[in-house]
Amino acid sequence: MAATFFGEVVKAPCRAGTEDEDEEEEGRRETPEDREVRRQLARKREVRLLRRQTKTSLEVSLLEKYPCSKFIIAIGNNAVAFLSSFVTNSGVWEEVGCAKLWNEWCRTTDTIHLSPTEAFCVFYHLKSNPSVFGSCPRKNMQITILTSRHVTEYKTSESTGSLPSPFLKALKTQNFRDPVCCSLLEQPNIVHDLPAAVLSYCQVWKIPAVLYLCYTDVMKLDLITVEAFKPILSSRTFKGLVKNIPQSTEMLKKLMTTNEIQSNIYT
Amino acid sequence: MASRYDRAITVFSPDGHLFQVEYAQEAVKKGSTAVGIRGTNIVVLGVEKKSVAKLQDERTVRKICALDDHVCMAFAGLTADARVVINRARVECQSHKLTVEDPVTVEYITRFIATLKQKYTQSNGRRPFGISALIVGFDDDGIPRLYQTDPSGTYHAWKANAIGRSAKTVREFLEKNYTEDAIADDDEAIKLAIRALLEVVQSGGKNIELAIIRRNQPLKVNCVSKKKKKKNEKKNFKMRLG
Repeated sequence: MAATFFGEVVKAPCRAGTEDEDEEEEGRRETPEDREVRRQLARKREVRLLRRQTKTSLEVSLLEKYPCSKFIIAIGNNAVAFLSSFVTNSGVWEEVGCAKLWNEWCRTTDTIHLSPTEAFCVFYHLKSNPSVFGSCPRKNMQITILTSRHVTEYKTSESTGSLPSPFLKALKTQNFRDPVCCSLLEQPNIVHDLPAAVLSYCQVWKIPAVLYLCYTDVMKLDLITVEAFKPILSSRTFKGLVKNIPQSTEMLKKLMTTNEIQSNIYT
Repeated sequence: MASRYDRAITVFSPDGHLFQVEYAQEAVKKGSTAVGIRGTNIVVLGVEKKSVAKLQDERTVRKICALDDHVCMAFAGLTADARVVINRARVECQSHKLTVEDPVTVEYITRFIATLKQKYTQSNGRRPFGISALIVGFDDDGIPRLYQTDPSGTYHAWKANAIGRSAKTVREFLEKNYTEDAIADDDEAIKLAIRALLEVVQSGGKNIELAIIRRNQPLKVNCVSKKKKKKNEKKNFKMRLG
């Protein structure tokens, strides 16, 4: 054990060997009650796909019912703002369903009646061109993922102060042949969470997929971060999907003003 | 490595970093942008005014503060830390005037603020101030000055600089556009400050606030709002006393 300057007691690594190991193991051993609690929680965890805003479930998997050639997924508020002002704002997009999930880390305790506002993911398809989230089998599908991370998580030999944030980096699967719109993510940087899961899935199942990751120093909804995604509008996936860029920029500015959170901590 | 050496301010990491000071610099980036320009006969401070909540009194949200009649300061970062630093600086300005019967020089008060900030990077149990400051003014010799301080307690004189969010973008703009011709004329220096801020100022409805000190004249604080946009990015501006 060691004490810090502030009086907190922390566990220091012990070089004396195995003296305390037996005591620690007893503390770590799981009781049958613990195991039962964990089993019950695991049973409660669920992911549900629902049709539009009603509570009707989609019996078959969403992709089989609406298989598509281009699947674009945006994770995080900046990526979602980019997609909603530049892509879903051009053309008529119809909401086809949503995904809701519950696990023991969710704040709501009611597992049966998840309200529509608690959807974790909403699915849209383009009415005028159903092949975008449309009618081709998985074989010809191409996936684009957009997300953002804080620039301090970007590992580089330069100091973060000299990085031109926000900036875009890309990571693609082996089967993705199209040119990417920015430089590739260098080692030793890694991708985490949902984007990593989607990319790994695509790599295993040989689906062409590309992740565009925006490193920014403002994690909340921010105009400059959203505009950093603009280079991808020239890619094959987005050509034809975006019609009116000035109108989209105005739409984005409106989104910023409505969603602005007042904070007096930083001036 | 960072997680073991970043909890106490008085601990260096093996490669010589003081992580708390570097994290304080991240806090500065959370504040809105401020730009300072030193002209031939004028010094200008421009800040991006945050929009306030509906029920909040706008006058209490101030990013530019006068330290004395001839010195003023803009900051970026933690509001409360700035309030403490500004109060100490103001007291020091008056104390100096009473003791030596001369107003402070811009360099003196900057050094005072920087020394104060440095003390907090070497004290046990206290965290650094999470603000960077741009301090401008004219000395008795009539020379305009612009200084910048940061949470580590360093200070430097600048011809033009920016702090806060997207400071790097603004600094790059200034490096390209700061010329001797641009700053020779007072109005051109003011326009340069506004153009620099417009590189990064976000959505409509936000205003820019300017503080101007001309030689032998008192400080003026103005509000600038965008009048209309023209083609080729030329903008008309309406200046009104704020």
